[in-house]
Amino acid sequence: MFVRTISALSMALATLAPISSACAQGTVALVGDVKVVKIVQDADGSRETLAEPTSVVPGDRLVFTTKYNNETGSKVENFVISNPLPKAVVLTAAGEFAVSIDNGKTFAALGTLTASEADGTSRSAELSDVTDIRWTIDSIAPGATGEVNYFAAVR
Amino acid sequence: MKNAVTNGIVVLPFVTGVALLFTNTALAAGVPAGTLIENTASASYNTGGPTQTVDSNKVTIKVDELLDVAVASQDAGAVPVAANAALSFSVTNTGNGPEAFKLTADPAVAGNDFDATINNLAIDTNNNGVYDVGIDTILANGGNSPLINPDIALTVFVLVTAPAGTTDGQTSKVNLLAEATTGTGAPGLTFAGAGFGGGNAIVGSSGADDNALGSLLASIITVNLTKTATVVDPFGGSSSVPGAIITYQLVATVSGTGSVNGLLITDPIPVSTTYSPNTLKLGGAPLTDLADTDAGQASAAGISVNAGTVAAGSTRTVTFNVKVNN
Repeated sequence: MFVRTISALSMALATLAPISSACAQGTVALVGDVKVVKIVQDADGSRETLAEPTSVVPGDRLVFTTKYNNETGSKVENFVISNPLPKAVVLTAAGEFAVSIDNGKTFAALGTLTASEADGTSRSAELSDVTDIRWTIDSIAPGATGEVNYFAAVR
Repeated sequence: MKNAVTNGIVVLPFVTGVALLFTNTALAAGVPAGTLIENTASASYNTGGPTQTVDSNKVTIKVDELLDVAVASQDAGAVPVAANAALSFSVTNTGNGPEAFKLTADPAVAGNDFDATINNLAIDTNNNGVYDVGIDTILANGGNSPLINPDIALTVFVLVTAPAGTTDGQTSKVNLLAEATTGTGAPGLTFAGAGFGGGNAIVGSSGADDNALGSLLASIITVNLTKTATVVDPFGGSSSVPGAIITYQLVATVSGTGSVNGLLITDPIPVSTTYSPNTLKLGGAPLTDLADTDAGQASAAGISVNAGTVAAGSTRTVTFNVKVNN
């Protein structure tokens, strides 16, 4: 009985070992950030700048950014970033991402999606229907970094 | 003050997109003040082995309070005013947080024929759109409304009196101003920490104040009474000598707008004369001297005719005869 216990413990240690070595390798780090788009008037007219979101009210446009950094030491493949939209914002522009209008069950280009109205009719999906967005990046070289973003307005 | 900011940015193409997008949003006033916007991204990937997943940090923004208001007259047209009248306005909180508004009615508007006296304001407590004395809550002019929730309109009455000397047909306007109690100013002005939900309060495109004009039309009714006397003396002349018959004619002319009720025309018999019995007439029709079912009565003391309800633009004529005493 005593011997068998030892043996079970050593087996457990053996299976743990590869996992801890993967942790040491690192992951792909994701760092999120948000800025608010402010309009600045100067001699050249109006232009947009990004500011810290110290004050945000309905109608303000935000840009949500997610930076990624491949710290795995290996080539990363099938890299997919999913981002459910906060309920309080509405997407203001399509981008290089697929969208979902069914809370992330299915993703496609916005122009190909059809939304159903309460009365049973259907129409082309609009930016305001989007619930989730998803970026797909085929591969990331070890140590490579990049970022994705989307623009949304506070409802 | 209005549109000071939007004028500047309207040329930018993306603003058009933002405006279009608002037509699809459920909340006209926007996300409630104090709402937290939280965003987290997650990623899945392979490095040759099983699929791995990772979450980003969560970024959080608190939505600040937007101070906006819209005031509009609720009256279908000019409100007729004889003595007192109630003008009705809607005060709509177009911001995104519960807010009280300072309400100020100003009767001195350029172009007025007369300036009404503002007695009070009233809140349409029972929400029936009509001012109900003793039910709707009275608010002193310049007082603060109760908290109005976002997207909710409060009906406010301005209770006015037309000043003495106002004549029929004169018009007047009354301005109602609503100002956010948190503060007003140029759009974008920020009141740090003053917003509902603990964030900032930021002045919206309305400047956090708005006003509207209500119109009054003086509907004053006036009654003019003209008395004339025609004398026929016993000698075929018109001298007021003993035995002469004097016919008095009283013409009541009602002018203005509306009608008068219970128009009572009375006249004492002059001294040194005696009423000629059964000569009292209203509009040429004889009236008995007795106090009975017809409109008139007459005695040695005087005559009295109740002409009832008389519309503006009409007249009532009463005649009676007296004889000059010997």
